Amino acid sequence: MLTFTAFSVRRALQGLWRNRVMSLAATVTMVLMLLLLAGLLIVLSGLQAGLSFVEQKVDVQAYLYDGVPPDRVQALIGQVQALPEVSAVTYTTKDQALADWQATLRARGQQDFTAVTGTNPIPASINVKLREPGVYGTVVDVLKASTGVVQRVDETQQVVDALITITNVLRTIGLIMLVMVGLTVLFIVVNTIRMAVMARADEIEIMRLVGASDAFIRWPFIFEGLFVGLIGAALTLVLLGLAAGPISQFTTAIVAQVPVGFDQQLGLELVGLVVGAGALMGGMGAWISVRSYLIR
Amino acid sequence: MTATLEPPAVTPRPPEPDALRASLVLHDVSMVYPNGKRALVDVDLVVPRGDFVFLVGPSGAGKTTLIKLLIRDEVATTGAVLLAGQDLAHLPRRQVPLMRRRIGIVFQDFKLLPSKTVRENVAFALEVTGTPRQQAAPVVERVLALVGLTGQAAQRPAQLSGGEQQRTAIARAMVHDPEIIIADEPTGNLDPLISWEILQLLLRINELGTTVLMATHNAEVVTALRRRVVALEEGRVVRDEVGGYHREY
Repeated sequence: MLTFTAFSVRRALQGLWRNRVMSLAATVTMVLMLLLLAGLLIVLSGLQAGLSFVEQKVDVQAYLYDGVPPDRVQALIGQVQALPEVSAVTYTTKDQALADWQATLRARGQQDFTAVTGTNPIPASINVKLREPGVYGTVVDVLKASTGVVQRVDETQQVVDALITITNVLRTIGLIMLVMVGLTVLFIVVNTIRMAVMARADEIEIMRLVGASDAFIRWPFIFEGLFVGLIGAALTLVLLGLAAGPISQFTTAIVAQVPVGFDQQLGLELVGLVVGAGALMGGMGAWISVRSYLIR
Repeated sequence: MTATLEPPAVTPRPPEPDALRASLVLHDVSMVYPNGKRALVDVDLVVPRGDFVFLVGPSGAGKTTLIKLLIRDEVATTGAVLLAGQDLAHLPRRQVPLMRRRIGIVFQDFKLLPSKTVRENVAFALEVTGTPRQQAAPVVERVLALVGLTGQAAQRPAQLSGGEQQRTAIARAMVHDPEIIIADEPTGNLDPLISWEILQLLLRINELGTTVLMATHNAEVVTALRRRVVALEEGRVVRDEVGGYHREY
């Protein structure tokens, strides 16, 4: 068994080196596919995180002008609370909002510039929880009607709908691209291994004649395919590792309040997915090649 | 048939219960290729253990087909081919490699790997059948000594003469201590003097107890040696007797 494994691995590495142009082409396309796969996972999980973050927030949020008299605010709250669609209304003061914001920044390890400026840029808000998500009735209209009090109204549902649409579209496009690139990778691996088989035609003939078992003839090629996949996976992980920092910053810059980024869970998933997909594509391509060109 | 007294064997084999157990039996063997060509017709042949047999006949007589049947590259259309008592037609696929280790095969074109040295070419047959290196090394040295190539072991085929290349191939055929050596025109690419050298080597291997079946066109060698000659013509055995290349009247 040890002899067999050592033999197969040695021959596979020899084959990769001898056939290095094809091996390189196969590895590069493998990296492209795996990067696409990883990118898709990152973006989709980011959107998913954003989605659940937004969903658990209040349904309608009205940001107030600074310095509105408390009685007007109370009047508005009472007015909204009286609506049949509303289950709860909470009021967040300017100070409370600032404290929340600072807590979020601390949790993310980012710098708090509000401490430097000494002013409070965050508006107070009225947060409305609906009895049934999506059933707004006149809530938004009532809030918007109170001119001089409400600065801006955010309806979460719009954001949720938009996120779901984006997620679905991206998932579909991503999967289609992934399948296409995957087939290309498979085709290239099959061809690479086929070339490796042909380059060893004389050796294979001699191996057959001296009584080498099928395993000894086939497995070196399967290892060769596996190595293409694993080397591709390793390169992909290195590239992702290099890109992780900038990507995290970029995404947090776009969706400022949503906790998107590389956490441990996503990182492990990525490593598993990339290594697994690489090994699977490489091994499968080699297996197809060996089955179609070596079986006799 | 020649005397098959067994002198001290190169590799001791366990004693056989039946000393005359046949290495090779073909019974009513016919071979028809898918294109309808009848390559062999009702061939009967028994080669006892330790025999030395020349297989002669014009090109297209069926010699190559016969050899392909013996190494189970092809399976006979009808009839039975038994090698060391094993029916090749009913051999499971997985057993084929094991059976081939009982046959040492030598070709006209040597079939050596140019990138490997003589020693590596010979060791290759053991390596690809899963023999650990420590076990393989002494076997390789022994067969190299048998064919007289110990001194050239580190050279590559391109640096060798044709005769030396063929001796390398014979050494490789011997590493599994085969029941039978099948040589397909082993002297076909060699000049007469070297041909004799190769023949001497095959005779010596035969004397050490290995059955030898040699397909050849070399009338001079066949006639001079006066061993068993099996002649094929149009797929049939037309002669099977001790004698020369041509029928003697």
